[in-house]
Amino acid sequence: MPAIKGFLETSFIDWPGCLCSVVFLGGCNFRCPFCHNHPLVLAPNGFGTIPLDHVLQRLTAMRDWLGGVCVTGGEPTQAPDLPDLLRTFKTAGIAVKLDTNGTRPEVLEHLLAEGLLAMIAMDVKAPLDQAKYDACAGTRVDLSAIRQSIGLIKSSGLPHQFRMTVLPKLHSEADIIVWRETLAGSPLKLQNFNPRSPLAADFAQEKGFAPDAFAALQALVA
Amino acid sequence: MGVVMPLKAEARDLTTKEVAKADSTDIALFVRTSQEDMLGWDRQRIVDALLRETFLDRDTAEKISKEVEKIIQTGTVKTVTGPLIREMVNAKLLEMGLEEARRMHTRLGVPLYDVDQLLVQHNKENANVPHGPEATNLTLAEGIKKEYALLHVFTPDVADAHLLGDLHLHDLGFIDRPYCSGQSLEYIKKFGLNLPHALSMAKPAKHAEVLLAHMVKFAAALQSHFAGAIGWDAINLFFAPYLEELDDRGVKQLAQMLIYEFSQQAVARGGQAIFSDINVYWEVPKHFETVPAIGPGGVYTGKTYGEYEQQAQRFAWALFEVYKEGDAAGRPFFFPKPLVHITEKFFKTEGHMDFLNHICEVASVKGNTYFIFDRGETAKISECCRLSFKLEASDLEDAKEPWRMRYSALQNVTVNLPRLGYQAKGDDTKLFTLLTERMQTAAKAHEQKKKFIEKLLTMGADGPLSLLAMELDGQTYLRLHRCSYLIGMVGLNELVKIHTGQELHDSDAAMKFGLKVIAHMNIVCNKMAESMGMKFVLEQTPAESTAYRFAKLDLAHYPEQAAKMVQGSLARGEVYYTNSTLYHVGATMNPITRVDREGLFHPLIEAGAITHVWLGEAQPDKEALATFIVNVFRHTQNDQVAFSPEFTCCLDCGKTSRGLSESCPHCGSQKVDGITRITGYFTKISSWNKGKLGELKERYRNQRQFAQA
Repeated sequence: MPAIKGFLETSFIDWPGCLCSVVFLGGCNFRCPFCHNHPLVLAPNGFGTIPLDHVLQRLTAMRDWLGGVCVTGGEPTQAPDLPDLLRTFKTAGIAVKLDTNGTRPEVLEHLLAEGLLAMIAMDVKAPLDQAKYDACAGTRVDLSAIRQSIGLIKSSGLPHQFRMTVLPKLHSEADIIVWRETLAGSPLKLQNFNPRSPLAADFAQEKGFAPDAFAALQALVA
Repeated sequence: MGVVMPLKAEARDLTTKEVAKADSTDIALFVRTSQEDMLGWDRQRIVDALLRETFLDRDTAEKISKEVEKIIQTGTVKTVTGPLIREMVNAKLLEMGLEEARRMHTRLGVPLYDVDQLLVQHNKENANVPHGPEATNLTLAEGIKKEYALLHVFTPDVADAHLLGDLHLHDLGFIDRPYCSGQSLEYIKKFGLNLPHALSMAKPAKHAEVLLAHMVKFAAALQSHFAGAIGWDAINLFFAPYLEELDDRGVKQLAQMLIYEFSQQAVARGGQAIFSDINVYWEVPKHFETVPAIGPGGVYTGKTYGEYEQQAQRFAWALFEVYKEGDAAGRPFFFPKPLVHITEKFFKTEGHMDFLNHICEVASVKGNTYFIFDRGETAKISECCRLSFKLEASDLEDAKEPWRMRYSALQNVTVNLPRLGYQAKGDDTKLFTLLTERMQTAAKAHEQKKKFIEKLLTMGADGPLSLLAMELDGQTYLRLHRCSYLIGMVGLNELVKIHTGQELHDSDAAMKFGLKVIAHMNIVCNKMAESMGMKFVLEQTPAESTAYRFAKLDLAHYPEQAAKMVQGSLARGEVYYTNSTLYHVGATMNPITRVDREGLFHPLIEAGAITHVWLGEAQPDKEALATFIVNVFRHTQNDQVAFSPEFTCCLDCGKTSRGLSESCPHCGSQKVDGITRITGYFTKISSWNKGKLGELKERYRNQRQFAQA
């Protein structure tokens, strides 16, 4: 089983339309400079592991209230035995939402085929331009995998959402418009960069969009 | 009654040669002399005052006056004032062991230094009082009335219990008014604005805007006669018969006027906004369904309120549209607080999920919505920070003539629970005995205030409470026989910790003990109600300043024990006890558990309880909130829930942003103020007392948790 490094019993913001729990897995293949979960990315072993039994017991106790559990990271598709975890949730009657960066379409395909997911959210980083995407992900990215994941998600028939964290240093209005066209009708949710404790130390000096400018970007994808 | 010296007397220039002639209207012992003589000195004035105000005989009075005169003549005193002479007389009375006479002869007032401080410093006992000339008037008047209450309305044992911090008698500065109230718009719809001694009288309104104007003015008049909240029942329904002539734009306009009128009424008493609540229903409440509706001109429309569902819903929807927009700077409106009743009938009424999502969006975006849960056959009127009046059989009978539905809690007395823990030292029997005794003292305080208010009220139209004594419908506006008397609590969490070693959230055993304490309080209330014929009910004290006051007093009286038990920061002086029966604000606990567990207390607390969910920055999904609310209704016993977001408003650019930031995200200015709920209502954080600031820092805001390695 993948080690569960964090657990939020209730979240009103992670699953559109319902109250859910959130399970955090450690490790990630990206190094996004603006990442706010970086201890989980860089040093997952710095956290203890929360016993799965505890998580299951809490989820069961709150069953009447929850729409399901959101599995996030880090990057959960990195964990080789992710399907085992999701199967356990499914057996317990708990719906699963998966958060992913889309770098492992083969894992996604497997999870979809086995019917382990009820909702998918995929983080996209920049327009599908090699240099831009690499800069935002902090590593070399296989864009064909990203494209493949987008295709899988769009054709999955499941509720889904694409998300993008934006900041003036890396993103422009034109980027958002490009994405709107690439995603053709699928929802894109923008998140404004928060300079509190980013992965790359120099990004602490960066700012998110001013509230009005951010609202204007949101309006583009509303 | 004791002589109240005019305050200005103390601040006058004492070196002037002018000799003031005591004015017969203020019967003041006011004397000022020059160095050369004692012009205007009249020893007889001392004798007169002692005979008038105390039980002393003439001989004693003469003797005292002569001794005081001697001191003044032989001493080095160069100037005397009335207050000084009075204190010299008091010193004599003390010397002679005439304690009761000294008490009767006491002078109430404020030292020069205090007035100087007050005019400059901000009073933070109630964050709803701004700083300004009107506010300082209020504080000065409250100060004197508070002293008066403690000396003259309450017996010394009751007053001492307050001063020592065993109990807190709320709103002592408003001793001559009832505490909170629940109102019916029907009263002004039927009788117009017809107030005793008013300069003019208005007939019942014919148009919605005029009705609103009457409502606002009546609310201001009521604010002058009640200490606390003015709550309005089923406001959207009672406006409904006036809305037929309005299109949707007109209804929205009216909603906007109503909310702005109440949120900007910070110009009345003491510059204080009227603490106002509006009860809102999506459905037509069962008890109003067949009631004949009063419409324009105060006449029956020929329809029942059941037939106005659609109009009432239009208004309810529009009100929440206005709340969602916020004020001109995007801030949430602080008042009037919208309280939406979630009932069995709510779920059977068409469009309820759309409305629920609508009000949940407001809860998410601005936080205003209060969700009141009336399960089964329960019906109630809610107001204040959480107070509610549960409608009994006789009230439901009154509902047929809704203008009769006027409720009031005459006073609120809070028990300092942690102190009982220090005193009982782990002994259960002692703890419960002490708790019963404290509640008996609280009941005694209620009896004494009731007697006082009754005296003022029976003076009728010529008395100070003529508005409350008016009898337009055949009974006095304030229905004293129907008043309730609140007994509240602060620091159950700390009492449980002192007594069992664990806080409420730590274990089932701790929770069980907490429930035992509140159940005991509930039983004592019921027993005293039966034996004294007064309606004692438990309420969760909002404890805006009481949680701070008790913690400070316990640190003074029980320093060693209290230092380990108070919450907050001793170093910064930001100490507090946990409010009422709430769980520790910093406990890592998801909102489901908090609402569920805290809700276990609610059925025992008849006059109102609430659970706060602090949201911080996160803007929750409205549908997630809506399903949460449905589940609270279905799966818990919780009475009331509110979600509290936090905002930063910029004093430079005037814009509002989400979350508490140290600088404005719009313009970068550091001149910012925070906004969130202090207890039951939104205010600016800069106006908070230190105890609440300590609490704010510790509030758990549903942050994610990671396991320790």
